Amino acid sequence: MATFASMRLALGAALLAAAAVPAYAQQQQVPAWAVGREGSGMSPTLAPHAPKLTVTPENELPINDLRVPDGFKIEVWAHGAPGARMMAVGDRGTVFVGSRVIGRVYAISDEGGQRRVRIIAQGLKQPNGIAFKDGALTVIAINQVLRWEGIEGKLDNPGQPTDLTSAFNLPPEEHHGWKFAGFGPDGRLYTNVGVPCNVCEFDRDRYAILVSFRPDGSDRRIEARGIRNSVGFDFHPATRELWATNNGRDWAGNDVPEDTLHRVRRSGEDHGFPFCVGDWNDPAVPRRACSEFEQPAAKLGPHVAALGMRFYRGTGFGAEYENQIFIARRGSWNREKKSGYDVVVAKLDGQGRVTGIQPFLTGFLDASGEKFTGRPVDVQQLQDGSLLVADEQLGAIYRISRR
Amino acid sequence: MRTTLMGAAALAAALLFPGAVAAADAARGQALAESCAACHGPGGNSQLDLVPSLAGQQPLFLTLQMILFREGIRAFPPMNEAMKGVVDRDIEDLAAYYASLTLEPQPPARDAAKVERGKALSATHHCGSCHLPDYSGQNQVPRIAGQREDFLLHTMLEYQQQKRSGTDTAMNAALYGLSEADLEALAHYLALQR
Repeated sequence: MATFASMRLALGAALLAAAAVPAYAQQQQVPAWAVGREGSGMSPTLAPHAPKLTVTPENELPINDLRVPDGFKIEVWAHGAPGARMMAVGDRGTVFVGSRVIGRVYAISDEGGQRRVRIIAQGLKQPNGIAFKDGALTVIAINQVLRWEGIEGKLDNPGQPTDLTSAFNLPPEEHHGWKFAGFGPDGRLYTNVGVPCNVCEFDRDRYAILVSFRPDGSDRRIEARGIRNSVGFDFHPATRELWATNNGRDWAGNDVPEDTLHRVRRSGEDHGFPFCVGDWNDPAVPRRACSEFEQPAAKLGPHVAALGMRFYRGTGFGAEYENQIFIARRGSWNREKKSGYDVVVAKLDGQGRVTGIQPFLTGFLDASGEKFTGRPVDVQQLQDGSLLVADEQLGAIYRISRR
Repeated sequence: MRTTLMGAAALAAALLFPGAVAAADAARGQALAESCAACHGPGGNSQLDLVPSLAGQQPLFLTLQMILFREGIRAFPPMNEAMKGVVDRDIEDLAAYYASLTLEPQPPARDAAKVERGKALSATHHCGSCHLPDYSGQNQVPRIAGQREDFLLHTMLEYQQQKRSGTDTAMNAALYGLSEADLEALAHYLALQR
């Protein structure tokens, strides 16, 4: 028994050594999320918050604590979808919702004023990338791309999807390997590839990028480099420019670096990671002049986890919200005082300059700043002009509309 | 200072889901747990090789792992089968039941050299940051103090060989670069903790 175990281990170790172990993996002596913690001066007990993967009944949702601006109202649109993350809306109004650790894709439909939650796929590895186009649902899990044609006609029995994994050939790393997905106005499928570490040296053409493909996975094109871990993007309704959120690295301090919003004017631009966030040089890597890189369009707060973002299309919320960006901030773990746990609006002027970041949905974090009752991860506009907000923590989807 | 910070964190966790905590019913869980005892032992103290004791385990950890078994995310056929179709409420009640029991460790014969090596490795690898200095665990992080030595070693090997991950990938990276002898020493040291 002992011999067998040691043989197995020796074999495992040999395989590990023989495989092309990337340089970043060799740096890891502590959990990937904790690299950089030593000497940071930050509390050593900071660690990612626990998820909740069981159904939360509607009467345990914090609806009465939630605040939206005057003239708006918020209601529970759907609940009972543990781990609900990124959303896409089908032509017939179905809201498709991805997840991470619970491995599910949900389809939520309105049936006579009530929402019906179906699980249409499960057992996937972090199916966070969800996109809908021409009747088909595309799901990007870690190193897996699946497509269900005509999905809204077969929600009760979606059947086997087309497996496009090898065509897209995305990297297999789990850490920061979960995807955001969306089709651009050019018909291409866009996604992100995060960096598989906290901060490290890595292949800058393979990681920390935004990338697009033809829908069949061919014709890969790098849209932006040096974006550490974007888990949200959208296209400006008028200019068609790609805008994306980005998560700054951990363990550099409570207030640095900030999460950022990026405007991609031309395919292939370099936005600076791991060297710079705006004008901040990361001391963990060789120094480069930050003027070499594109500057972020806005800073979104340190460690807030700015994730899903969408431009508001049309005037349903009033002219002041047209073409403005709603951004879900999931909320910090790597910060001694919690921050985020809200939805903000990035206000843009006519030239696309960000003139301010305003709170829009608050109340998930209580007055003590210690207790949270939600982690907003994505926003999505419905055809009626209302805005959905997905809360991963309690598996609920809220709807914000004009009074 | 360290203790204060942890106290605050524990308090925050307790406040986080007051409804869920109150709703879980250990007595109901006991009734559901009858078939679990065949492997996990009477009172949640395992007598079987490679089967973990569940007594005194963190309830959120137990809940999350049962969900991962049910969803096929954590692969172990007997548990995948056992959890098939088990509803969330039953899982929460089972977790509450096992968390309410008292762990009765069956410590291995103490090997002083291994204990020293395990203790030193735990310090350099910060096991106590997430598992807490007494290794009693918190939230999604399991109690490892007093767990079966063979199961601890088996689990660490699975993490190291990427055969398993938790609700995040922290443990896969945490054990990177440790030798078999290192893991044996850690398992031995942790199995002897109370």
